Amino acid sequence: MITIKDLELSYSKQSKLLSNLSLQLEAGRIHGLLGKNGEGKSTLLKLISGLVFPKHGSVEVMGFTPELRKPEMLQEIFFLPEELPHITLSIENYEKVYAPFYPNFSSEKFSEYLKEFDVDNKKAMLNKLSHGQKKKVMIAFGLATNTKLLLMDEPTNGLDIPSKGQFRRMVAAGVDENRCLIISTHQVHDLDSLIDNIIVMEKHKIVFNQPIENITEKLYFRVADRNDKNEDVIYSEDTLRGLYQVCKNTANEDSKLDIELLFNAITTNTKEITKLF
Amino acid sequence: MNTTFSFNRLGLLLKRFFVENSQKELTFWAISLVIFMLIHNPAGVGMFIIISGFVFASRKFNSFGYTPGGMHYLLIPATHLEKLVTGIILSTFYFLVCIMACYFVGGTIGTHLGNLIFSTDNAVHFQLFETADALNNISPTYDSSYIDMFISFAIVQSIFLLGSVYFKKNIISKTMLSIIAFGIIIGLIELLLLKLNFDTTSLKNQNINIQLLDTTSMFPGADILGDIIKYATAPFFWVVSYFRLTEKEV
Repeated sequence: MITIKDLELSYSKQSKLLSNLSLQLEAGRIHGLLGKNGEGKSTLLKLISGLVFPKHGSVEVMGFTPELRKPEMLQEIFFLPEELPHITLSIENYEKVYAPFYPNFSSEKFSEYLKEFDVDNKKAMLNKLSHGQKKKVMIAFGLATNTKLLLMDEPTNGLDIPSKGQFRRMVAAGVDENRCLIISTHQVHDLDSLIDNIIVMEKHKIVFNQPIENITEKLYFRVADRNDKNEDVIYSEDTLRGLYQVCKNTANEDSKLDIELLFNAITTNTKEITKLF
Repeated sequence: MNTTFSFNRLGLLLKRFFVENSQKELTFWAISLVIFMLIHNPAGVGMFIIISGFVFASRKFNSFGYTPGGMHYLLIPATHLEKLVTGIILSTFYFLVCIMACYFVGGTIGTHLGNLIFSTDNAVHFQLFETADALNNISPTYDSSYIDMFISFAIVQSIFLLGSVYFKKNIISKTMLSIIAFGIIIGLIELLLLKLNFDTTSLKNQNINIQLLDTTSMFPGADILGDIIKYATAPFFWVVSYFRLTEKEV
């Protein structure tokens, strides 16, 4: 669905935004794009949607060149940005105005998602809603568009705790084998048990891109005693509950993926982790 | 699916404008109506139409001044051409029709109200058009002054429409500065030509008598060139706006 080859993007020679980036993403999966602030996650999403243009390399989305911004491509992409636009419309009118641009939009689904998010009043003005409420409306709209590609930049920012759970449920239910969802976040806990594939950006490059099943096959996540010596430990975090560790899964044991721990392990020990895959 | 231009998508973009800006539009046209009820002086009316016109045109792509707004606009599934045509229709044709309607209605109501309040018996006059008719009578070059007036208006609107695509913030002031800078460059070229041909920078008190009695025989095709410039200026700025829109990044 998305093929990126040798991508380079910079505003000047000194400040590279993306460097030598290659990536292939398939439909039917929820991809978690993780990285520290300023690593280029949002820029990568903008490149995929055709909002910024690459200086070198190529981007292909569903067979289209994003920078041409053809309507056939745009009607199959929904981008939920971190900062939402100022829209002086009621939810009802927003749907009336923007839904016709998306041929697969489902009004029933939109109402259903809004109900799940406890947004009952469709007559409410979007500019009068809180940031969290507005985000819920946009998430609901994005899911209801049934676009093949859904890009979400920090979607859980501004959502309260129950809404984060609702978000995870709705996203999991809204993705099928034809749909590709990319969620960019630095709040890795919010994506727990939601994503199928983890992409990590570090120093403006993709340093890690693996499906969850591969990760748990190669790595073992555990909480160990401080006296426990294990030669397979790649990364360790000392907490009040003990040592949170990422180890080589030499014994082929099952463990629950800890995304935050994995992310920290990758950013501090990139070479060691990537060597295993 | 039509990949270049679809009237359906154009209709949706126009609908989007009217639904999203209904209150602002109603307020603006109501204010215009009141202004035309009070002002009858053709200079004042003309000034109001020109100024409100370019303010209106310069707001057509002002969403680019705010990154989330620009992203939202560029991601609307419609071609750049459809987005630009929407801007042209609204800033040139829709604006002109509405402002003229306000002028006629405002002028009529204003005159009748004035007659009622001050017990006068004034007839309804639309002095803006009377001025155009007068110009028609004075000079043969104004033989199509209504069209000329529309062309001048369309050129101003197209310049400010380009300004709204080109500049992110302070669109009006930056566009005006660009027009002034262009004027200064033309002025400098003129000075240079004067210096080269007459060895002076001013024709004042120089006793140079230039008479161009028959420009067409001196410069064959000058009229055609003039017409081309006249009719092509607004489309030229629309084309530049189109290319600027296609290369817009947010």
